[in-house]
Amino acid sequence: MQKEMAYSFPDEVLKHVFSFIQSDKDRNAVSLVCKSWYEIERWCRRKVFIGNCYAVSPRMVIRRFPEVRSIELKGKPHFADFNLVPDGWGGYVLQWIAEMAGAYPWLGEIRLKRMVVTDESLELIAKSFKNFKVLVLFSCEGFSTDGLAAIAASCKNLRELDLRESEVDDLSGHWLAQFPETCTSLVSLNISCLGSDEVSFSALERLVDRCPNLRSLQLNRAVTLDKIANILRRAPQLVDFGTGNYAAELQPDVFSNLAGAFSSCKELKSLSGFWDVVPAYLPALYSICPRLTSLNLSYATIQSPDLIKLVSHCPRLQRLLVLDYVEDSGLEELASSCKDLQELRVFPSDPFGVEPNVSLTEQGLVAVSLGCPKLQSVLYFCRRMSNAALVTIAQNCPNLTRFRLCIIEPKTPDYLTLDPLDAGFGAIVEHCKDLRRLSLSGLLTDHVFEYIGTYGKKLEMLSVAFAGDSDLGLHHVLSGCESLRKLEIRDCPFGDKALLANAAKLETMRSLWMSSCAVSFGACKLLGQKMPKLNVEVIDETEPPDSRPESYPVDKLYIYRSVAGPRFDMPPFVWSMDEAVKILH
Amino acid sequence: MGRPTSSSSSIDSPNHFAFSSTASSQRDLTTDLRLGLSISIAPPFVREQWPPMKAAVAEEEHECNSSTFYVKVYMEGIPIGRKLDLLAHESYYDLIRTLEHMFHTNIIWAEAEMDRDHYEKYHVLTYEDKEGDWMMVGDVPWEMFLSAVRRLKISKC
Repeated sequence: MQKEMAYSFPDEVLKHVFSFIQSDKDRNAVSLVCKSWYEIERWCRRKVFIGNCYAVSPRMVIRRFPEVRSIELKGKPHFADFNLVPDGWGGYVLQWIAEMAGAYPWLGEIRLKRMVVTDESLELIAKSFKNFKVLVLFSCEGFSTDGLAAIAASCKNLRELDLRESEVDDLSGHWLAQFPETCTSLVSLNISCLGSDEVSFSALERLVDRCPNLRSLQLNRAVTLDKIANILRRAPQLVDFGTGNYAAELQPDVFSNLAGAFSSCKELKSLSGFWDVVPAYLPALYSICPRLTSLNLSYATIQSPDLIKLVSHCPRLQRLLVLDYVEDSGLEELASSCKDLQELRVFPSDPFGVEPNVSLTEQGLVAVSLGCPKLQSVLYFCRRMSNAALVTIAQNCPNLTRFRLCIIEPKTPDYLTLDPLDAGFGAIVEHCKDLRRLSLSGLLTDHVFEYIGTYGKKLEMLSVAFAGDSDLGLHHVLSGCESLRKLEIRDCPFGDKALLANAAKLETMRSLWMSSCAVSFGACKLLGQKMPKLNVEVIDETEPPDSRPESYPVDKLYIYRSVAGPRFDMPPFVWSMDEAVKILH
Repeated sequence: MGRPTSSSSSIDSPNHFAFSSTASSQRDLTTDLRLGLSISIAPPFVREQWPPMKAAVAEEEHECNSSTFYVKVYMEGIPIGRKLDLLAHESYYDLIRTLEHMFHTNIIWAEAEMDRDHYEKYHVLTYEDKEGDWMMVGDVPWEMFLSAVRRLKISKC
């Protein structure tokens, strides 16, 4: 007895120690040490991250973690961004809010990604949580400005309201005026996704005026250039700013007013917005460019010469998002001016054009890989690539953690040799030992998957389209990639064999998406039967999968691990392969 | 279910049109994508939802939901301008008819035929585009014009 006491700490001490442990992974490890640590830990866990809202039920979360203050939930699969997931698929947050309203009166932070959020959910949040501080709705949909009005009116200490990339139903522009005069706590406001006329500008000005801690503000496209100066002068402490429309007739007084307003913002480090840019107004930014670390010009249809001029003023740039109007010449300038660059994203200005409309090739990316030694994250759309270029990029940037290449035409070979791009991507996975995320494109055989399975030991997310020859490709990935969590595949000749042979692997992953592949309905049923801890869902909008022979391939397949069993909110075009569900039919 | 697009004309157009036209075709086509229509210029086999890009949500909302698009119209010699809703018109012909009525004059544009002996009776219709250049109305497809135009000017011949 005495020995035990000598070796055990009082609960209070352990709780205090645990409070320094923030990462989920570490907290999970702590909870596995012994029963008493599990108990202490679960009572003091304040933050929960749920990467798939269907992997667990609200009740289970509440039962285990009774004192949560912050929750993050993700809903639809990533391919929903590209319209591959039909409307009505799921990802509804209402039930979560309803259960948490009762269990977590002190819940202060809700962060949602790709979920369906109704006005009813927002109204419930507004009235249930007295200490509500942070609402982030990233790529969400299903709500209107009425729901936002409820949040604004009720949340007295709101710090963060971020609606980035969400779809909001425009009913009235006056929701912003619902923030009471006593609300002075805003730190971050992102309304960039709102369409025209959804925001009362005078209400916005008054809100900015009374929130001295406002650090991050992203306006929407309806806000015109002449209004930017007014806002900036009211918030010179801004660190992160998204302009609205950046177009106006060139007038000297408007220009000097704007330039003056920008120069008064001594902390401004990050800019975005820039719809409809009139290049003549870009020099208004020059005074803050030397401090800029992040620049998002992905809506700015400005040409290479203007981009080069702008970028050359930003030596501290760490993050650049831009359209392919930047061209190889612009990227060469970037490579020579911005030695701190860590992240580059180049989007296509004319994604559906058959011929290239700009001079952006693999050369631009090669130049950046050579000139920017800190490059870690790449998303690059282009029309041609070569194995030689990919090998060079891999050798220049061994610290890459995210590499997403999209060669616009599917199955495009190496433009110099006409070979598949297996060797090039192979070099990427071989040299970049910390690579966590990879997206493939171009002409690819099973060989590329062999390289990925062999070298991609830290790979967590892989996106594949129009690639591979046979099941062997999928087998290499599932058997070799030890850290794989998310795999999404479309239009590849992968069938039943690799999937069934690696069924156990699927329980170690968050999810697998396969569409327009060759997985048969029979194999899906078998997987559903054999693996009770997996939810195997077949999506077919044309007809029920069992109205066809079992050997017929399914249209779309989404498999994810879950401790909650099959979900109850499936629409008619989603079929669960779970045995229990079938018996109920 | 296709929609004619304007991107193929960008190759032959003068430089500045190429840039503004691709910008507008980007918006046209991403609108198509959002509406689920398949693109008529897809090469060999039909590929849905490719390349993998998020639809620029705010951009489309602006395009799809705005039911009016008012631009200023000035006539040379008259200091007070008028405002005109371009979206209330379906084509150049429609627009010209409205302007001729509004300003009581004959309007010259890219497709007009003029009686050269009486040029003093005519006015030329031009528009300011996104780059700030003044261009004659009527050279580009109507949709492309709508996304490039900032305001209109009617000048003496």
